[in-house]
Amino acid sequence: MIKDSHFKMDLSLLQAMERERVLEVLRRDKQLRTIEEDRIKRMRYELQDLRRKGAKSFARQYGERTCARCQRPLGKFWNSGAVCCGCSHRICRKCRVGLGATAWKCTVCHAYRDVKIRSGEWFMEEKAKKFPATADKYETVGEKLLKTYNVLSHIAVVPPTPPPHLDYQFLSRSGDLKSSKPFAKSMENLMLSLTSHIKKISTSQNDVREDLLRVENSRRGSCFTFTTQKSLSDTDINKSSNLFKGPSLPNLFKRSKDSDHEGYSTGAEEETSFGSEYSGGNRGSISSISTDCGLFEGVTVAGELQLALAYNTKSSCLEITVGACRNLINGDHKRNKCHPYVKLYVLPEKSSKMKTTVKKNTTDPVYNEVLQYYIEHHLLVGKRLQASVWHSGTLKRKVFLGEVLVPLDGLGFKNKASQCFNWYPLCPKTESPEGGTMEQDGEVVRPKFSSINQGELLQLSSLKYLQERETRLSVRHII
Amino acid sequence: MTDGDYDYLIKLLALGDSGVGKTTFLYRYTDNKFNPKFITTVGIDFREKRVMYTAANPNGTTAGKTFKVHLQLWDTAGQERFRSLTTAFFRDAMGFLLMFDLTSQQSFLNVRNWMSQLQANAYCENPDIVLVGNKADLADQREVQEKQAKELADKYGIPYFETSAATGAEVDKAVITLLDLVMKRMEQCVDKPPAEPANGNGATKLDAAPPNEKKCAC
Repeated sequence: MIKDSHFKMDLSLLQAMERERVLEVLRRDKQLRTIEEDRIKRMRYELQDLRRKGAKSFARQYGERTCARCQRPLGKFWNSGAVCCGCSHRICRKCRVGLGATAWKCTVCHAYRDVKIRSGEWFMEEKAKKFPATADKYETVGEKLLKTYNVLSHIAVVPPTPPPHLDYQFLSRSGDLKSSKPFAKSMENLMLSLTSHIKKISTSQNDVREDLLRVENSRRGSCFTFTTQKSLSDTDINKSSNLFKGPSLPNLFKRSKDSDHEGYSTGAEEETSFGSEYSGGNRGSISSISTDCGLFEGVTVAGELQLALAYNTKSSCLEITVGACRNLINGDHKRNKCHPYVKLYVLPEKSSKMKTTVKKNTTDPVYNEVLQYYIEHHLLVGKRLQASVWHSGTLKRKVFLGEVLVPLDGLGFKNKASQCFNWYPLCPKTESPEGGTMEQDGEVVRPKFSSINQGELLQLSSLKYLQERETRLSVRHII
Repeated sequence: MTDGDYDYLIKLLALGDSGVGKTTFLYRYTDNKFNPKFITTVGIDFREKRVMYTAANPNGTTAGKTFKVHLQLWDTAGQERFRSLTTAFFRDAMGFLLMFDLTSQQSFLNVRNWMSQLQANAYCENPDIVLVGNKADLADQREVQEKQAKELADKYGIPYFETSAATGAEVDKAVITLLDLVMKRMEQCVDKPPAEPANGNGATKLDAAPPNEKKCAC
């Protein structure tokens, strides 16, 4: 009954000046939200850290009677621990945080509760109860309004999305598969199905994990009677999946939800997921953590980026020369340090990530690196080069330092101006739909250009992952 | 002023008829200044303030930890023509300052309407609200008696304050009371077991409603 029907307000009724004023307010609000989102991200990162510490290491057998948090052994009668009402783990006396006279939670569950309050997640959940029709519960009215207006004013700039098959053309061209046609064809098909599968896999990771859990549980059951605990942890998974939705920044957190699943809840889950996470290598979970930490702290963006663009008709590739940057702001304010690198995308493709090396301790890095992007000249129409500068911090923390968008339409034979070095002033993150989704997509399987071997490696690793998954599933069937 | 160094971001919103003094009230609260000129708010606006909040410990008499709270105080236009815009912003606020003018009987009568607007548009049906009668300094022009307003506030079960943006009287207290309510609400929301909806808090009516709604929406 309460739907978005009353959400028909728009700013069309207002006079132009009034509208501008409201939009100004909304932009201010956006700034505040950006800060808030970074704060929440940091908070969640810390939480994840804490969980990870508490996770049972896989050197230790799960059946062993230890505290799930500090791993200290528990006695049979004395100091036997008690089950936390949040995560159903056995917890020693030291790892509890009192809530009331008798109620307590383990340190991780308490931290989780704390984050839920401090991030405003509680509010989102309450709101979602009343407005279930709202598509995205993290989106505020102001955000929505601002977005509609941004889209309206950007509409002329955004190039039409090319048909998806183009993507695979590049892929086959980038590899050295040209030599044998049929092989190339089959590889192309394989890649096609692979890339379409990857999406499904990353979304179904949770299912896989649940499967794993059952495998783990039944395996455990043989050495340890565990029936009650099993049902407990099963319900707990459901609970945690209901509870744990990311905080307000809708898109950026979609991935972290996945990774939260594996971090939180039962030890069995933690154990298995971490095991597979480490062995899996280049998987969504890892990359989601690292991209999550890419903080858009650069509300203040300064400096310039030097680029030269040329199209090489002989090798049919776009050659982007990243010259240098100057007057960047420090990525690490506290330590006054900056380790910048430049990341390139050819928008709207998402598969085109290219990076320069990281230059240490400088706000005026000199790269002089040529990055190549294989593409037919006529396909450049409507494409834009997104060159963003990032600070590569400790623990894979990335801080956004600014970006440049260069249209690639008129590039080529005549345009001499862009072929020599140009200084482009860095801008804050643009709100174009492509730009927004770029970061959250992680680096699951993304063929890199200019380096063929790397591309092959990635294909291989994804194949391996598929195989791994299949074997795991079959294990489950056997059991 | 705005950096991420705070523990909570609390979003409050002031609403009420045009000219009751929402903007001056917030201006007094955030900047401790008074601007007697009437400048009508265009649609929406917001002000910010960083405050220290000391939580009362639930299981002890001693005061608990102190937190840094960043307040985002939304100011809405009272004018009718902005109504659809302003009410849409209700749903993103965690607490509300429902204001009327002590020198205007009509603004007081409209409190009822604002309440129903809140019920329809706020994030839940019984959000945290503080009733504020502003312009308490204009004693000779007073049209609304304290008893009257108090009765209405009691009927809704919300606190009532008589403030003056001109002198600053009770302004801080009204906001802090609301903040307190919101902070308590957060704890409740997180601590109530999700499995048991009827958990002794006064909102039994509310708890029964959402499941039905969800079914309708699906």
